[in-house]
This record gives sequence, structure tokens and C-alpha cells, in this order.
Amino acid sequence: MTIDEIKNVILEIIQDIDDEADLENLNPGDALRDQLDLDSMDFLDIVMELRKRYQIQIPEADYPQLATLDSCVNYLMPRLQAA
Amino acid sequence: MREYPLLIIGGGLSGLAAGIRFARFGHKVLILEKHTKAGGLNSYYYRRGRLFETGLHAITNYAPPADKHAPLNRLLRQLKIPRHTLKLRQQQTSEIFFPGRASLCFSNDFSLLESQIAKHFPDSVQHFKNMVAEIDSYDAFTPRPKVSARKFVSAFLQNRLLAEMIFCSLMFYGGSNENDMDLSQFVILFRSIFQEGFFRPEGTIKDLLDLLLKQYRDFGGEIEFSSGVREILAENNRISGVRTDTGEEISCDNLISTAGFPETRRLFTSPGPAAKFSELPEDKISGRLSFLESIYLFNKSFLDHLPQDRTIIFYNLSENFSYRRPDEAVDLNSGVICFPDNFEGSRQDDTIQMRVTHLANYEKWRHAYDNRDKSLYAAMKTDWKARSKKVVGKIIGNCIKNIVYEDTFTPVTIERFTSRTQGAVYGSSEKIKDGRTNFENLYIAGTDQGYLGIVGALLSGVTMVNQHIFNKM
Repeated sequence: MTIDEIKNVILEIIQDIDDEADLENLNPGDALRDQLDLDSMDFLDIVMELRKRYQIQIPEADYPQLATLDSCVNYLMPRLQAA
Repeated sequence: MREYPLLIIGGGLSGLAAGIRFARFGHKVLILEKHTKAGGLNSYYYRRGRLFETGLHAITNYAPPADKHAPLNRLLRQLKIPRHTLKLRQQQTSEIFFPGRASLCFSNDFSLLESQIAKHFPDSVQHFKNMVAEIDSYDAFTPRPKVSARKFVSAFLQNRLLAEMIFCSLMFYGGSNENDMDLSQFVILFRSIFQEGFFRPEGTIKDLLDLLLKQYRDFGGEIEFSSGVREILAENNRISGVRTDTGEEISCDNLISTAGFPETRRLFTSPGPAAKFSELPEDKISGRLSFLESIYLFNKSFLDHLPQDRTIIFYNLSENFSYRRPDEAVDLNSGVICFPDNFEGSRQDDTIQMRVTHLANYEKWRHAYDNRDKSLYAAMKTDWKARSKKVVGKIIGNCIKNIVYEDTFTPVTIERFTSRTQGAVYGSSEKIKDGRTNFENLYIAGTDQGYLGIVGALLSGVTMVNQHIFNKM
């Protein structure tokens, strides 16, 4: 997957979690949770959805690496190479 | 043998929510429901072609759509039910009424309760605000030893009447202990009733249950009705599966029981595993609080004689509000009077409904029910219903007549249809707050996990799966 494809996957998953999320004004370098007003339960859904779609296991210790849109891409890039 | 990563005992709200959560991410799950319908304590039945709800007066925890962190909205996201697909009707005004002494009205706007306290208890208003500040900062979800809510409240409110009025409403809406409650339960109830508030979804509980069932099945979840569990099968520290009433063995990696704390223990048929599950004596874990509830339908012409702006009235007549199993079959000194039609938006119907709830003594009703002379139980129902009507008439300021239909449930009715021991609607007096048991793959969800009300039950199912099951998959 390319950077843009991975970004789109993340945005699509977020949209699916909260259909009223404001994705237009998202700053890719800032924390998703603060910008989207999400909580830890929603965050778990991003992880679960990635697991369901691409069978990637993300250990809890790695969750901080999914904090921003950019860091999501960096973290997922090597793991979604084959996808 | 059939095998499931997750098996759930009970198709009530917590079981359905747990099932939706698990199925949503593509995992195989089976719910076993003893009854012919979903819903557990919040279900429905038909009489004369009309649907009647059981249990449901109102749903607590109302929150506007924009408040994303409110329990209701978090829950809906977790169940993947878009908020805008639900039409929620907020309550009008509810009232805590101690005739001859004081009345406090409240709505989903918390400032109404504050202004009512300022008006009727001017000396206590600052104490009340201090208490609310403490409630706001209290973490009610981390397991910790029990703290008496009575002690907590009396440290703030020196006015005993005000404290009793607050307890009257909160205890009737979720108290599983006699005359006191654990502080965390008090905080959860205070927030969900006073700070968030009452609502009903458009339609009936059946519409909500059908929505949940559809969501569950759309995600691939399986549910079997009239399918009771006879026995939980244990091997050392693990549950290997269950045996159903028909004798089928179903194996599972994880088991969530929503049957309740004492009810789940009874499913361990040999003494070793039962003692491992809990060694607390039966009378310590059985809830003692049950209720007599009557439903009345009036012709719309009777509307002028009924309160039209009151959704729920909590009343108490006695000097000290008593929330315990009464000595008599029913305690008419206090009760809840609910008008399910008095929510915002009108309902197109030719009848008006009223529901009345009083504390009741399970043993007395059980004794009458088990008597060889079946007329005894029926006569007892008729007698108490008539006495209740008299009291309620005084509270609402009109005598109760023009009834087109009425029905009464006793603690025995509740026990028969919900499998709750002794008809204990709010479950065991002991809660298992983290849902864990002495078996590494058995979890408790629902009323006995300690979240309260419909939103609480649903959140309980969601939370147990999130916290305990997903990390094992």
C-alpha cells in the first residue's frame, strides 16, 4: 500500500466508527483522539478493524504509535507492505 | 460437538451488546437464551393484541448527540448504531414527592433540580453543590472496597429529609442493597438519573430489541431461544463449555454469563467448581429487593384526571424512607408512579398508560403461589392491587377509575420470566465490578457486574468483551 492508501484506510475506519467525525480539517501531525474527540473505546475499534481487515496484530504497547495520522502511516507502512 | 470462541448465557441487553461487539469484528459467537424472546428484565408480552413492556419505565443516561463522551453516545458507537437513526424522546418533568413535607422536581436540565433545592432547602443548597462537585470527580468504575453512600451523603447534607428524597429516587431506580448502597453505585445512579436524565426511544422496547438483534445477526452472531443452560462445565481453572437443557454439550474458549451472580453459581452442579466460583453463602449474594408492579390502561377521556406533565413520580409517605424487603407482602408507603406517555412528542393512541411499582416481599408471594389452593395467590394480587390504587389515587389527586385494562406482576412473576432468584430486579447485593471470576475464561456481565439500567447493561456487555476477550483473540 502507498502512503495515501494507508491514510485513506485509517480515515475510512474512523468514518465508520463515527459518521459525524470532521475529517476535512484533520491535522495529520496532531493527536487523532483530541481532534476527533474520540476515547479509548473508539481507539480500540481502529485496532480491531485493522486486525479484521488485514490480520495484523497490534500489541497494546504499540498503541501510542497510532496517536496521529502520520504516525499511523509510519507504523503501518512496513506491516501493510504486502496488502 | 459445536465449538465457539465465545458463548454467552442470556439474551438480555448485556448479552446482546456483548454479542454485537464480538461479532462485529468477524468472530463466531452464540447466545443461549432460556426465554422465547430477547430482553431479559426488559422485555415485552402481548395481551389483547397489544404489546406491554416489562421493566422499562424510562431509559436513563440521556445525552445530546454532540456530547461524544457521554455513556449513551459512546455505547452507540461501540454497537455501531448511528445516533441519528434513533429518535429519542426526553422526559417532561419528574418529581420526588413526600406528601405534607416536600416536593422536588427534576428534568434532563440539571439546573431545575438545583433551583428546586434552592427553593425548598435554601440552607442546603451550598452543601448540595459541594456534594455534586465530589460526585463529578469520583471514579465509579475502578473496583475498590464498598463505601456507604449514606455516610457519604450525610457528610454533605445535614438535612435528613433532603438526603432521604435523593435516596428514594436513586434506590428505586437501581438499589440492590437494603437501605444503603455502595458509593460507586450511588455515583453512577446520580449521574445517570439527575445529571443525564430520562428518555425513551420512539416505539417500544421491542423496537430497540429488534434493532439490537438485527445488528447482531447482520454481523453474523447466532442466538437460540428457549435454550436454557443446565450446567457450566469446568476443568480445573477453565470453563470447557456448557450443557444445555436438551443435554447438548457446546464447547467454548470464553464464556460470559449474564444470568447473575447467584444464578451463575447454581449452574455449577458439582460442589467443587461451585465453591471455586464463590464461597459466599447464598443469603449473602441473593438480592432481597423485589417489586409488585401494576400496569393500568385508561381511556383517553380520563386524561384530564391524570398528571400530564409528570413522567415519573417517586413518592414516600412514611417518616423515614425505608428501602428493604417489607414485612408485609407489599410496602405501600413508597413507590414509583410512571406515565410512559409523558415524554416529549405525542403518541397516537386511544389509551393512556400508568405503571405503579412498590417494594414487595418475595417469600410471601412465593408462599402464596406454591399453595395448593391457587385462588390464594390470585386473591392476594387483587387485594394488594386495590390497596395500591387507593394510595396512588391520593398521590396523583384523583381516584383511579375508567381502567380499560390492568395487569400486575409479583416477585414470583419476575422470577419466572427473568430467572432472577427471588425476583431481584437489581440483582445480587454483591457486585463483581471487574467481571472476572476464579475461572480464567468466565466473565460476568449485566446487572451483577454493577452497571445500572439499560444503558448500563449494554455498556457492561461491551466493556467485558473489550477488556477481557479481545486481548485473547
